[in-house]
Amino acid sequence: MMAVEPQGTALFLLITGTLLAFSVLFSRQIDRLGVPIVLLFLVLGMLGGSEGIGGIAFDDYRAAVRIGTIYLVLILFDGGLNTPWLAVRRVMLPAGILATFGVALTAGLLALFVRALGLGWTESLLLGAVVSSTDAAAVLAVLRGGRLHLQPRVGNTLEVESCANDPMAMILTVLMIEVAKSPDALRWTMALGIPLQLAVGAAVGVLCGYLGSRILRRVRPPTVGLYPALTSAIAFLSFGVATLLEGSGLLSVYVTALVMGNSTLPYRSGLARIHESLAWLSQIALFLMLGLLVFPSRLLPVAGMGLAAALFLAFVARPLAVVLCLLPLRLPPREVGYISWIGLRGAVPIILGAFPVLAQVPGAERVFNMVFFIVVFSTLLPGATIRLVTRWLRLAVPERPRPSAILEVNSAHPLNAEIASFLIEPAAAVCGAAMSEIQFPAEAAVALIVRGKELVAARGHTVLAAGDHVYVFFRPVDRQYIELLFGRPEAG
Amino acid sequence: MKFADFISRRAIRAELVAEDKEGVIREMIQALLDAGKIEASEFESIVKAILKREELGSTGIGRGVAVPHTKHPSVDRLMGTVAISREGVDFDSLDGEKVQLLFLLISPPDRPGDHLRALENISRQLRDDTFCKFLKKAKSAEEIEQLLDEADNNQFVA
Repeated sequence: MMAVEPQGTALFLLITGTLLAFSVLFSRQIDRLGVPIVLLFLVLGMLGGSEGIGGIAFDDYRAAVRIGTIYLVLILFDGGLNTPWLAVRRVMLPAGILATFGVALTAGLLALFVRALGLGWTESLLLGAVVSSTDAAAVLAVLRGGRLHLQPRVGNTLEVESCANDPMAMILTVLMIEVAKSPDALRWTMALGIPLQLAVGAAVGVLCGYLGSRILRRVRPPTVGLYPALTSAIAFLSFGVATLLEGSGLLSVYVTALVMGNSTLPYRSGLARIHESLAWLSQIALFLMLGLLVFPSRLLPVAGMGLAAALFLAFVARPLAVVLCLLPLRLPPREVGYISWIGLRGAVPIILGAFPVLAQVPGAERVFNMVFFIVVFSTLLPGATIRLVTRWLRLAVPERPRPSAILEVNSAHPLNAEIASFLIEPAAAVCGAAMSEIQFPAEAAVALIVRGKELVAARGHTVLAAGDHVYVFFRPVDRQYIELLFGRPEAG
Repeated sequence: MKFADFISRRAIRAELVAEDKEGVIREMIQALLDAGKIEASEFESIVKAILKREELGSTGIGRGVAVPHTKHPSVDRLMGTVAISREGVDFDSLDGEKVQLLFLLISPPDRPGDHLRALENISRQLRDDTFCKFLKKAKSAEEIEQLLDEADNNQFVA
């Protein structure tokens, strides 16, 4: 069904819009089924493609890589922007090992396996490299959407790993392409280039993050809406500069966002929300693009090997790599087991898979088509079982309460205090206390109490009752004392 | 409020042996039991209440200090104890550091004011780096007691 323009585009937007709305409105229900929403868009892409009803002929791998990288940058930027230092520091070691050695090990194991199945060395190594990293967007979607509450160490490890391992996967893929193009180039010294690329990426990231947050605090754009445009620009710049300096652009973006997210930013909560939304849309767009890029008729010939590779990756390569990497750290076995099971893969292999096709490596399209099976399988399987496994391994923690209302201060100037809301539970020290009995630091106070549907003023004789939502403002130095009295703040 | 008003001297422990969060909490409550401050029959119920509070967020307030606390109907006045873990225990603290110095508080449910004043006193005094460092280094219950007395006499914080 080839439609003339603008009807063709209109039809495309109509379907995409319907599916987008559908997936937002029913995200809870779909999530309970365990089918990741992104797969719907993959199917939509396939339906829209030249062999589907849409008849959109899209096989421009160059455009796919370029657009895909933009999306990936936005996804990683969101990942870094919303990660507190503490979370990174806590899991620096396990996540760092997994993101480097773990990726290489997974890639190697998978390459050996598909080689044994009869694939050539070049293709085997490429496939291993392309699908070696876990997916930031997929992991963040599962862990942050407020849908799953994991023990911090496990959750943070998975999160930081997923953001920090894409650079390694990209470096490996590019290396393998070089080797494929000129096999003589293969030398041990190539391995030395990897830490150098990571170091350059990290350094550029720190610099961009530092300068970025300074600029953000200084400038006064005419409208608040321009702030996210500026942060996106910083993300793109960070990738560009690092990559042109022969460093890892993806690591640079992640580090930039980490540095910015942990400094004082104007309109911080608004920025966080916009980037979350951008990351979500990016992920969907990537899957849509993958759907358009694959041709079902070309998938069939590699279906057997693709599925075998997907199974091997989920049941052997990932678990083995994780266990070997985490062995020296002596983490509890159930945590290691969990991390090895949740090897969600997603959009990254789609982009990386297009790299060798662009470089005209022989057999690259076959690899790309196999990536399809691996992505689908490893999105479906952990996605569908994650709840069950979390419960089974007793790794869930009590859900953080949701605020009944959001009270926040948005300011272009950095403020010296913050506002947090707390649900008063019977076990909290302040429950049952009159306001006058609470010893507040000099620069802290209760701004508002929400009791059921009523807003209650905080006066001296007002007694805090279980179930109240209390909004407290305080200086950052007093945060620990405030949390000692009130408990953990509500989810933002 | 002073430390002397609620810290039970006979329940102070300078060498905790437990290596995890629940373990050290149990050890400190046992110390209060041994000091005759709580009833043996209430032991488990108090442990549960303290852990319930930890579920709301760790009472590890950073810099190696934790203040596990609860309200419990079996006590008729605010009481507490201090303990030190040489190795430090993982307390899911806000700053991720292990905890060496612990203050544990139990207060009657109908006296939230005392409870809050005690928490304020502990936090305020521990802001003094010297006091905090000396306490963590204390070798015996007597030494801890002496440091608390000095703090009560305003020798650390004005």
